[in-house]
Amino acid sequence: MSEKLFAYLRDNGSWGLRNNVLVLPLHSALASTARTIADTSDGAVAISHDWSGEIDSDLRRILFTLSGYASNPNNYAVVFLIIGNAEEKSIIDGAQALGLKNFTVLSLPEIGSLEKLQSDALVVANKYVAEAKSQKRIEAPWSAIVLGLECGGSDALSGITANPALGVASDRLVELGATSVLGETTEILGAEHLLAARAIDPEVGKRIVAMVSRYEASINYEGIDIRGAQPSRGNIEGGLSTLEEKSLGAAKKAGNAPLTGVLEFGEKPLTPGLYFMDTPGHDIEQLAGFGAGHINVVVFTSGRGTPTGSAIMPTIKVSTNTPMYSAIPDLIDLDAGTIADGLETLAQVGDRIFAEIIEVANGKLTKAERGGHHEFALSRMYKTVISEY
Amino acid sequence: MRRILILDSRDNIAVCLVDLEIGDVVEQDDISIKVLNKIPRGHKIATQVISKNDGVIKYGERMGHAVVPIAIGEHVHVHNILGDRLSSAQS
Repeated sequence: MSEKLFAYLRDNGSWGLRNNVLVLPLHSALASTARTIADTSDGAVAISHDWSGEIDSDLRRILFTLSGYASNPNNYAVVFLIIGNAEEKSIIDGAQALGLKNFTVLSLPEIGSLEKLQSDALVVANKYVAEAKSQKRIEAPWSAIVLGLECGGSDALSGITANPALGVASDRLVELGATSVLGETTEILGAEHLLAARAIDPEVGKRIVAMVSRYEASINYEGIDIRGAQPSRGNIEGGLSTLEEKSLGAAKKAGNAPLTGVLEFGEKPLTPGLYFMDTPGHDIEQLAGFGAGHINVVVFTSGRGTPTGSAIMPTIKVSTNTPMYSAIPDLIDLDAGTIADGLETLAQVGDRIFAEIIEVANGKLTKAERGGHHEFALSRMYKTVISEY
Repeated sequence: MRRILILDSRDNIAVCLVDLEIGDVVEQDDISIKVLNKIPRGHKIATQVISKNDGVIKYGERMGHAVVPIAIGEHVHVHNILGDRLSSAQS
């Protein structure tokens, strides 16, 4: 492999694959203002969210998510918009502790005028954008890639086309020294013992089993039985025979590499290798958790297709079947449906996904980036689970 | 055009990419398999003999076990295998 990586080196030694200037409102009342600032700037991005300072059992999770998201190495700088409460300060402190260096805080009560807040923020954002544009990419080690593995809108082909092909690419990256993170606790239920068997030490194996048990306990508490008669009648008609087979199909996004560690929602991996992160099945909440965990590029496999993208992480979409790819070519980057039609092998599609990840890491824009898809959602938990968090 | 897909070299089953009929012969990648049952697209065919209680291997991983002996070319599904962890043998 003669491919080379070029990325942005941060002061703390981490690597960005993008050089975003993020306008981040820390209160939902400033969400529209943040969006307006980004839209009128020379290239800043913004997210919006629905947290307005509530202090409840999800508070820690929300503060942690926003601190992690702000300090993602794909961000060159962050412009925080605040309304002046103590929790906002703790988000900014948290982001600094996680490595954020370039930032400006603009407080509505201190500035005293929303119009002035907006014009001040625009000046700061444009200054950061100019600085970001002058920073050059330099040759980076493979460890610069922190890949997130996601699937949504799965179909009967997911487990034999896009997911295992992504697994081929993930294995190659992990072998080269990169990091790859599998999420979606709901989707590994029934295959966690297999991931545990791949753990680099017994402690990691115990943790992933415990994490899935914790999730199972929370859904049982809510009175939901999602396991019931798994696999479902539709799955059986499609050819899936056991629960293990179904979950293996989802877990195949993570290939066959050894499992290096287990991460809580939004926690960042500290060394290269393959990780599992405890995330909800909700695609956009999961993307927020990946961003908070300093993942810098995502591959998203889908059977039904989705416009989902992120303001800070390039998100490469891979279709599991060719008809969907042909129907929405403006949303999907690569087609893995060729495997089911016998036109390409898993290894060939895995190679294409691998090559695309490198190109995107080096700056090629994904379809979601070109389309300006900047989804974000905070993840909230049940009280029973947050007590263990 | 490929008619079956072997996902991992350790597997003892393959996934059918087309509907297979009794008596069809699948010849691909140095293997030749005579199809023993009608097998729909997306379902599994045995590429090796699987003895009773032996693991069924897909993606190089154990996805369950045989409850009866399974011959090469046989349809592998809920009628002859079970999950190890949670049984799908209901109704």
